[in-house]
Amino acid sequence: MNHDASSDDFEANLKPLWMRAQAGDEAAYRDALSRIAVRLRGYFSRRLFGLADDVEDLVQETLLALHLQRGTYDPGLPVSAWVYAIARHKLVDLLRRRGRREALNQPLDELCEALQPLASDSHFARRDLAALLKTLPAAQRQAIELTKLEGFSVSEASMRSAISESAIKVQVHRGLKRLAALVKGSS
Amino acid sequence: MKTDDLISILSRSAGAAPRAVAARRLAPVMLGGALASAALSLLILGPAPNLETVGTALALKFAYAGALAACAAWLTARLARPIARLRGAVAVVAGVVLVAAVVGLLAAFDTPAGERLPYVMGDSWLQCPWSVLALSLPTLCGTFWALRGLAPTRLRAAGLAAGLLAGAVGAFGYAFTCHETSTAFIALWYTLGIGMAGGVGALLGPNALNW
Repeated sequence: MNHDASSDDFEANLKPLWMRAQAGDEAAYRDALSRIAVRLRGYFSRRLFGLADDVEDLVQETLLALHLQRGTYDPGLPVSAWVYAIARHKLVDLLRRRGRREALNQPLDELCEALQPLASDSHFARRDLAALLKTLPAAQRQAIELTKLEGFSVSEASMRSAISESAIKVQVHRGLKRLAALVKGSS
Repeated sequence: MKTDDLISILSRSAGAAPRAVAARRLAPVMLGGALASAALSLLILGPAPNLETVGTALALKFAYAGALAACAAWLTARLARPIARLRGAVAVVAGVVLVAAVVGLLAAFDTPAGERLPYVMGDSWLQCPWSVLALSLPTLCGTFWALRGLAPTRLRAAGLAAGLLAGAVGAFGYAFTCHETSTAFIALWYTLGIGMAGGVGALLGPNALNW
Protein backbone atom coordinates (compact mmCIF):
# COMPACT_ATOMS: atom_id res chain seq x y z
CA MET A 1 0.00 0.00 0.00
CA ASN A 2 2.97 2.36 0.46
CA HIS A 3 3.19 4.28 -2.77
CA ASP A 4 6.06 6.45 -1.63
CA ALA A 5 8.06 7.27 1.45
CA SER A 6 5.68 9.91 2.77
CA SER A 7 2.45 8.06 2.07
CA ASP A 8 1.74 7.59 5.77
CA ASP A 9 2.08 11.33 6.20
CA PHE A 10 -0.28 11.84 3.28
CA GLU A 11 -2.84 9.54 4.88
CA ALA A 12 -2.49 11.15 8.31
CA ASN A 13 -3.15 14.61 6.86
CA LEU A 14 -5.84 13.51 4.48
CA LYS A 15 -8.00 11.35 6.73
CA PRO A 16 -9.37 14.08 9.08
CA LEU A 17 -9.98 16.38 6.10
CA TRP A 18 -11.72 13.62 4.24
CA MET A 19 -13.98 12.69 7.15
CA ARG A 20 -15.06 16.34 7.45
CA ALA A 21 -15.61 16.45 3.69
CA GLN A 22 -17.75 13.31 3.82
CA ALA A 23 -19.90 15.02 6.46
CA GLY A 24 -20.46 18.01 4.13
CA ASP A 25 -17.57 20.43 4.87
CA GLU A 26 -16.98 22.11 1.50
CA ALA A 27 -13.64 23.75 2.35
CA ALA A 28 -12.26 20.48 3.70
CA TYR A 29 -13.44 18.70 0.56
CA ARG A 30 -11.69 21.20 -1.69
CA ASP A 31 -8.49 20.91 0.34
CA ALA A 32 -8.65 17.10 0.31
CA LEU A 33 -9.23 16.95 -3.46
CA SER A 34 -6.30 19.34 -4.06
CA ARG A 35 -3.97 17.15 -2.00
CA ILE A 36 -5.26 14.06 -3.78
CA ALA A 37 -4.76 15.71 -7.21
CA VAL A 38 -1.06 16.30 -6.45
CA ARG A 39 -0.63 12.64 -5.49
CA LEU A 40 -2.53 11.42 -8.52
CA ARG A 41 -0.34 13.53 -10.81
CA GLY A 42 2.74 11.85 -9.35
CA TYR A 43 1.15 8.41 -9.46
CA PHE A 44 0.13 8.67 -13.11
CA SER A 45 3.33 10.45 -14.24
CA ARG A 46 5.45 7.61 -12.91
CA ARG A 47 3.34 5.03 -14.72
CA LEU A 48 2.51 6.72 -18.03
CA PHE A 49 6.01 7.13 -19.49
CA GLY A 50 4.89 7.13 -23.08
CA LEU A 51 1.61 8.91 -22.51
CA ALA A 52 2.65 12.00 -20.54
CA ASP A 53 -0.02 14.04 -22.31
CA ASP A 54 -2.63 11.83 -20.71
CA VAL A 55 -1.59 12.45 -17.12
CA GLU A 56 -3.76 15.49 -16.47
CA ASP A 57 -6.70 13.98 -18.35
CA LEU A 58 -6.46 10.94 -16.12
CA VAL A 59 -6.10 13.07 -12.98
CA GLN A 60 -9.34 14.85 -13.87
CA GLU A 61 -11.14 11.64 -14.83
CA THR A 62 -10.12 10.10 -11.50
CA LEU A 63 -11.19 13.15 -9.48
CA LEU A 64 -14.59 12.99 -11.16
CA ALA A 65 -14.85 9.27 -10.34
CA LEU A 66 -13.80 9.89 -6.72
CA HIS A 67 -16.51 12.49 -6.39
CA LEU A 68 -19.25 10.37 -7.95
CA GLN A 69 -18.24 7.33 -5.87
CA ARG A 70 -17.48 8.99 -2.56
CA GLY A 71 -20.35 7.04 -1.02
CA THR A 72 -18.29 3.85 -1.52
CA TYR A 73 -15.55 4.96 0.87
CA ASP A 74 -15.38 2.70 3.94
CA PRO A 75 -14.35 4.79 7.00
CA GLY A 76 -12.65 1.71 8.45
CA LEU A 77 -10.00 1.76 5.70
CA PRO A 78 -7.32 4.31 4.69
CA VAL A 79 -8.52 7.08 2.34
CA SER A 80 -5.29 6.86 0.35
CA ALA A 81 -5.82 3.15 -0.33
CA TRP A 82 -9.33 3.91 -1.59
CA VAL A 83 -7.99 6.73 -3.80
CA TYR A 84 -5.19 4.58 -5.24
CA ALA A 85 -7.58 1.68 -5.89
CA ILE A 86 -9.73 3.98 -8.04
CA ALA A 87 -6.66 5.54 -9.69
CA ARG A 88 -5.30 2.11 -10.52
CA HIS A 89 -8.64 1.04 -11.98
CA LYS A 90 -8.72 4.15 -14.19
CA LEU A 91 -5.09 3.62 -15.26
CA VAL A 92 -5.63 -0.03 -16.19
CA ASP A 93 -8.78 0.91 -18.07
CA LEU A 94 -6.96 3.63 -20.04
CA LEU A 95 -4.03 1.35 -20.90
CA ARG A 96 -6.41 -1.37 -22.04
CA ARG A 97 -8.31 1.02 -24.27
CA ARG A 98 -5.06 2.48 -25.61
CA GLY A 99 -3.58 -0.96 -26.07
CA ARG A 100 -6.46 -1.92 -28.27
CA ARG A 101 -6.33 1.21 -30.39
CA GLU A 102 -2.68 2.20 -30.42
CA ALA A 103 -0.89 -1.12 -30.31
CA LEU A 104 0.91 -0.18 -33.53
CA ASN A 105 2.06 3.28 -32.42
CA GLN A 106 5.65 3.92 -31.46
CA PRO A 107 5.93 3.91 -27.67
CA LEU A 108 8.13 6.53 -26.00
CA ASP A 109 9.41 4.06 -23.41
CA GLU A 110 12.87 3.95 -25.02
CA LEU A 111 13.44 7.69 -24.71
CA CYS A 112 15.82 8.75 -21.97
CA GLU A 113 14.38 10.65 -19.02
CA ALA A 114 15.42 14.11 -20.34
CA LEU A 115 13.60 13.60 -23.62
CA GLN A 116 10.32 12.50 -22.03
CA PRO A 117 7.55 14.95 -22.82
CA LEU A 118 6.56 16.87 -19.70
CA ALA A 119 3.10 17.75 -18.55
CA SER A 120 2.75 21.53 -18.27
CA ASP A 121 2.88 23.03 -14.78
CA SER A 122 -0.45 24.76 -15.21
CA HIS A 123 -2.25 21.41 -15.00
CA PHE A 124 -4.32 21.96 -18.07
CA ALA A 125 -5.79 18.79 -19.44
CA ARG A 126 -5.73 18.11 -23.14
CA ARG A 127 -9.39 17.30 -23.04
CA ASP A 128 -11.51 20.33 -22.16
CA LEU A 129 -14.13 19.54 -19.56
CA ALA A 130 -15.65 23.00 -19.96
CA ALA A 131 -16.47 22.17 -23.56
CA LEU A 132 -17.91 18.80 -22.57
CA LEU A 133 -20.03 20.51 -19.89
CA LYS A 134 -21.68 22.57 -22.61
CA THR A 135 -22.90 19.43 -24.35
CA LEU A 136 -24.93 18.22 -21.36
CA PRO A 137 -28.74 18.28 -21.53
CA ALA A 138 -30.13 21.72 -20.62
CA ALA A 139 -31.54 20.82 -17.19
CA GLN A 140 -28.31 19.17 -16.05
CA ARG A 141 -26.18 21.99 -17.45
CA GLN A 142 -28.29 24.64 -15.77
CA ALA A 143 -28.16 22.91 -12.39
CA ILE A 144 -24.37 22.57 -12.61
CA GLU A 145 -23.88 26.15 -13.80
CA LEU A 146 -25.99 27.61 -11.00
CA THR A 147 -24.58 25.59 -8.09
CA LYS A 148 -21.08 24.83 -9.29
CA LEU A 149 -19.97 27.69 -11.56
CA GLU A 150 -21.96 30.70 -10.38
CA GLY A 151 -21.69 29.53 -6.81
CA PHE A 152 -25.31 29.66 -5.67
CA SER A 153 -26.36 27.42 -2.82
CA VAL A 154 -28.81 24.69 -3.69
CA SER A 155 -31.70 26.64 -2.17
CA GLU A 156 -30.75 29.85 -4.04
CA ALA A 157 -30.44 27.89 -7.25
CA SER A 158 -33.83 26.36 -6.57
CA MET A 159 -35.44 29.81 -6.18
CA ARG A 160 -33.80 31.19 -9.32
CA SER A 161 -34.73 28.28 -11.54
CA ALA A 162 -38.09 27.36 -9.95
CA ILE A 163 -36.89 23.77 -9.69
CA SER A 164 -37.11 21.95 -6.36
CA GLU A 165 -33.95 21.54 -4.30
CA SER A 166 -33.99 17.76 -4.56
CA ALA A 167 -34.45 18.00 -8.34
CA ILE A 168 -31.44 20.35 -8.55
CA LYS A 169 -29.32 17.87 -6.61
CA VAL A 170 -30.45 15.02 -8.85
CA GLN A 171 -29.68 17.02 -12.01
CA VAL A 172 -26.22 17.97 -10.71
CA HIS A 173 -25.43 14.34 -9.92
CA ARG A 174 -26.77 13.11 -13.26
CA GLY A 175 -24.87 15.82 -15.09
CA LEU A 176 -21.57 14.89 -13.45
CA LYS A 177 -22.24 11.22 -14.14
CA ARG A 178 -22.93 12.06 -17.77
CA LEU A 179 -19.75 14.12 -17.84
CA ALA A 180 -17.76 11.16 -16.53
CA ALA A 181 -19.23 9.00 -19.30
CA LEU A 182 -18.36 11.65 -21.92
CA VAL A 183 -14.82 11.87 -20.52
CA LYS A 184 -14.41 8.12 -20.82
CA GLY A 185 -15.80 8.11 -24.35
CA SER A 186 -13.48 10.90 -25.48
CA SER A 187 -10.17 9.34 -24.42
CA MET B 1 -10.22 23.25 -17.97
CA LYS B 2 -7.59 23.43 -15.25
CA THR B 3 -7.67 20.76 -12.59
CA ASP B 4 -8.10 23.43 -9.89
CA ASP B 5 -11.27 24.59 -11.64
CA LEU B 6 -12.58 21.03 -11.71
CA ILE B 7 -11.86 20.72 -7.97
CA SER B 8 -13.87 23.93 -7.40
CA ILE B 9 -16.76 22.54 -9.39
CA LEU B 10 -16.73 19.22 -7.56
CA SER B 11 -16.41 20.65 -4.05
CA ARG B 12 -18.79 23.61 -4.34
CA SER B 13 -22.13 22.85 -2.65
CA ALA B 14 -21.17 19.20 -2.71
CA GLY B 15 -23.05 18.42 0.50
CA ALA B 16 -22.43 15.30 2.52
CA ALA B 17 -21.45 12.04 0.88
CA PRO B 18 -24.40 9.71 0.20
CA ARG B 19 -24.74 6.86 2.71
CA ALA B 20 -25.44 3.16 2.28
CA VAL B 21 -25.07 3.48 -1.49
CA ALA B 22 -24.85 -0.28 -2.11
CA ALA B 23 -27.84 -1.15 0.10
CA ARG B 24 -29.97 1.51 -1.58
CA ARG B 25 -29.36 -0.05 -4.98
CA LEU B 26 -29.35 -3.73 -4.00
CA ALA B 27 -32.46 -3.76 -1.76
CA PRO B 28 -34.99 -2.81 -4.47
CA VAL B 29 -33.24 -5.17 -6.91
CA MET B 30 -33.59 -8.10 -4.49
CA LEU B 31 -37.22 -7.32 -3.75
CA GLY B 32 -38.12 -6.91 -7.43
CA GLY B 33 -36.06 -9.96 -8.38
CA ALA B 34 -37.77 -12.14 -5.78
CA LEU B 35 -41.21 -11.03 -6.99
CA ALA B 36 -40.23 -11.60 -10.62
CA SER B 37 -38.75 -15.04 -10.01
CA ALA B 38 -41.77 -16.14 -7.90
CA ALA B 39 -44.22 -14.82 -10.48
CA LEU B 40 -42.41 -16.45 -13.44
CA SER B 41 -42.15 -19.70 -11.52
CA LEU B 42 -45.88 -19.78 -10.65
CA LEU B 43 -47.10 -18.55 -14.05
CA ILE B 44 -44.83 -20.49 -16.41
CA LEU B 45 -43.87 -23.62 -14.45
CA GLY B 46 -46.97 -23.70 -12.25
CA PRO B 47 -47.19 -24.24 -8.48
CA ALA B 48 -46.02 -27.59 -7.15
CA PRO B 49 -49.01 -29.98 -6.93
CA ASN B 50 -48.05 -30.89 -3.36
CA LEU B 51 -47.27 -27.31 -2.25
CA GLU B 52 -49.53 -27.54 0.84
CA THR B 53 -48.17 -30.86 2.02
CA VAL B 54 -44.42 -30.18 1.68
CA GLY B 55 -44.25 -27.63 4.49
CA THR B 56 -40.89 -28.71 5.93
CA ALA B 57 -39.13 -29.05 2.59
CA LEU B 58 -40.55 -25.72 1.42
CA ALA B 59 -39.37 -24.02 4.61
CA LEU B 60 -35.93 -25.57 4.11
CA LYS B 61 -35.75 -24.26 0.54
CA PHE B 62 -36.82 -20.78 1.62
CA ALA B 63 -34.35 -20.79 4.52
CA TYR B 64 -31.45 -21.89 2.29
CA ALA B 65 -32.28 -19.41 -0.47
CA GLY B 66 -32.91 -16.59 2.00
CA ALA B 67 -29.74 -17.17 4.03
CA LEU B 68 -27.59 -17.43 0.93
CA ALA B 69 -29.21 -14.34 -0.63
CA ALA B 70 -28.56 -12.31 2.52
CA CYS B 71 -24.91 -13.41 2.75
CA ALA B 72 -24.28 -12.99 -0.99
CA ALA B 73 -25.86 -9.51 -0.81
CA TRP B 74 -23.40 -8.58 1.94
CA LEU B 75 -20.50 -9.88 -0.19
CA THR B 76 -21.79 -8.06 -3.28
CA ALA B 77 -22.13 -4.80 -1.34
CA ARG B 78 -18.54 -5.19 -0.10
CA LEU B 79 -17.21 -5.93 -3.59
CA ALA B 80 -19.05 -2.86 -4.89
CA ARG B 81 -16.39 -0.74 -3.15
CA PRO B 82 -12.95 -0.09 -4.70
CA ILE B 83 -11.30 -1.58 -1.60
CA ALA B 84 -13.13 -3.57 1.02
CA ARG B 85 -12.85 -5.90 3.96
CA LEU B 86 -14.02 -9.18 2.46
CA ARG B 87 -13.10 -11.88 4.94
CA GLY B 88 -16.32 -11.88 6.97
CA ALA B 89 -18.61 -11.81 3.96
CA VAL B 90 -16.71 -14.57 2.14
CA ALA B 91 -16.78 -16.68 5.31
CA VAL B 92 -20.55 -16.48 5.76
CA VAL B 93 -21.27 -17.29 2.10
CA ALA B 94 -18.96 -20.30 2.28
CA GLY B 95 -20.45 -21.18 5.66
CA VAL B 96 -24.02 -21.32 4.35
CA VAL B 97 -23.02 -23.55 1.43
CA LEU B 98 -20.96 -25.75 3.74
CA VAL B 99 -23.86 -26.18 6.17
CA ALA B 100 -26.15 -27.11 3.26
CA ALA B 101 -23.59 -29.65 2.04
CA VAL B 102 -23.20 -31.24 5.48
CA VAL B 103 -26.96 -31.36 6.11
CA GLY B 104 -27.49 -32.86 2.64
CA LEU B 105 -24.78 -35.50 3.14
CA LEU B 106 -26.14 -36.48 6.56
CA ALA B 107 -29.63 -36.82 5.12
CA ALA B 108 -28.31 -38.95 2.26
CA PHE B 109 -26.40 -41.29 4.57
CA ASP B 110 -29.44 -41.48 6.81
CA THR B 111 -31.28 -43.09 3.90
CA PRO B 112 -30.99 -46.88 3.31
CA ALA B 113 -28.30 -47.61 0.70
CA GLY B 114 -30.77 -48.99 -1.83
CA GLU B 115 -32.95 -45.86 -1.81
CA ARG B 116 -30.09 -43.39 -1.66
CA LEU B 117 -29.77 -42.70 -5.38
CA PRO B 118 -33.45 -41.90 -6.03
CA TYR B 119 -33.44 -39.87 -2.78
CA VAL B 120 -30.61 -37.67 -4.03
CA MET B 121 -31.66 -37.48 -7.68
CA GLY B 122 -35.41 -37.08 -7.19
CA ASP B 123 -37.23 -37.09 -10.52
CA SER B 124 -36.49 -33.51 -11.53
CA TRP B 125 -32.71 -33.24 -11.04
CA LEU B 126 -32.21 -32.37 -14.69
CA GLN B 127 -34.76 -29.60 -14.61
CA CYS B 128 -33.88 -28.03 -11.24
CA PRO B 129 -30.51 -26.31 -11.80
CA TRP B 130 -31.47 -24.96 -15.22
CA SER B 131 -34.77 -23.59 -13.88
CA VAL B 132 -32.98 -21.95 -10.95
CA LEU B 133 -30.54 -20.40 -13.42
CA ALA B 134 -33.35 -19.17 -15.67
CA LEU B 135 -35.33 -17.74 -12.75
CA SER B 136 -32.21 -15.92 -11.55
CA LEU B 137 -31.78 -13.95 -14.78
CA PRO B 138 -34.08 -10.99 -13.91
CA THR B 139 -32.20 -10.56 -10.62
CA LEU B 140 -28.86 -10.94 -12.39
CA CYS B 141 -29.73 -8.02 -14.66
CA GLY B 142 -30.71 -6.05 -11.56
CA THR B 143 -27.59 -6.81 -9.54
CA PHE B 144 -25.40 -5.92 -12.53
CA TRP B 145 -27.28 -2.65 -12.93
CA ALA B 146 -26.72 -1.97 -9.21
CA LEU B 147 -22.99 -2.68 -9.46
CA ARG B 148 -22.58 -0.58 -12.59
CA GLY B 149 -23.61 2.46 -10.56
CA LEU B 150 -21.03 1.64 -7.87
CA ALA B 151 -17.26 1.18 -7.98
CA PRO B 152 -16.15 -2.48 -8.05
CA THR B 153 -12.47 -3.01 -8.92
CA ARG B 154 -12.38 -6.83 -8.72
CA LEU B 155 -14.79 -7.33 -11.55
CA ARG B 156 -14.78 -11.12 -11.78
CA ALA B 157 -15.29 -11.54 -8.03
CA ALA B 158 -18.01 -8.89 -8.02
CA GLY B 159 -19.72 -10.66 -10.94
CA LEU B 160 -19.51 -13.97 -9.08
CA ALA B 161 -21.05 -12.48 -5.92
CA ALA B 162 -23.81 -10.76 -7.92
CA GLY B 163 -24.47 -14.06 -9.71
CA LEU B 164 -24.68 -16.04 -6.46
CA LEU B 165 -27.09 -13.45 -5.08
CA ALA B 166 -29.22 -13.73 -8.22
CA GLY B 167 -29.01 -17.54 -8.06
CA ALA B 168 -30.25 -17.58 -4.47
CA VAL B 169 -33.20 -15.37 -5.46
CA GLY B 170 -33.86 -17.70 -8.42
CA ALA B 171 -33.85 -20.68 -6.03
CA PHE B 172 -36.41 -18.89 -3.88
CA GLY B 173 -38.69 -18.57 -6.90
CA TYR B 174 -38.10 -22.16 -8.00
CA ALA B 175 -39.18 -23.45 -4.56
CA PHE B 176 -42.80 -22.56 -5.47
CA THR B 177 -42.81 -24.96 -8.39
CA CYS B 178 -40.52 -27.68 -7.02
CA HIS B 179 -42.25 -30.82 -5.68
CA GLU B 180 -39.09 -32.51 -4.35
CA THR B 181 -39.02 -33.07 -0.61
CA SER B 182 -35.56 -34.59 -0.14
CA THR B 183 -33.01 -32.57 1.81
CA ALA B 184 -30.12 -34.04 -0.19
CA PHE B 185 -31.85 -33.03 -3.44
CA ILE B 186 -32.07 -29.43 -2.24
CA ALA B 187 -28.48 -29.39 -1.02
CA LEU B 188 -27.12 -30.71 -4.32
CA TRP B 189 -29.29 -29.43 -7.16
CA TYR B 190 -30.31 -26.03 -5.77
CA THR B 191 -26.67 -25.36 -4.97
CA LEU B 192 -25.67 -26.36 -8.48
CA GLY B 193 -28.22 -23.97 -10.02
CA ILE B 194 -27.09 -21.13 -7.76
CA GLY B 195 -23.47 -21.92 -8.60
CA MET B 196 -24.27 -21.81 -12.32
CA ALA B 197 -25.77 -18.35 -11.87
CA GLY B 198 -22.58 -17.37 -10.02
CA GLY B 199 -20.55 -18.72 -12.94
CA VAL B 200 -22.52 -16.66 -15.44
CA GLY B 201 -21.91 -13.59 -13.26
CA ALA B 202 -18.17 -14.28 -13.05
CA LEU B 203 -18.04 -14.79 -16.81
CA LEU B 204 -19.81 -11.52 -17.60
CA GLY B 205 -18.30 -9.42 -14.79
CA PRO B 206 -14.98 -8.25 -16.28
CA ASN B 207 -16.67 -6.73 -19.33
CA ALA B 208 -20.12 -5.81 -18.08
CA LEU B 209 -19.05 -4.22 -14.79
CA ASN B 210 -16.20 -2.05 -16.04
CA TRP B 211 -16.55 1.67 -15.32
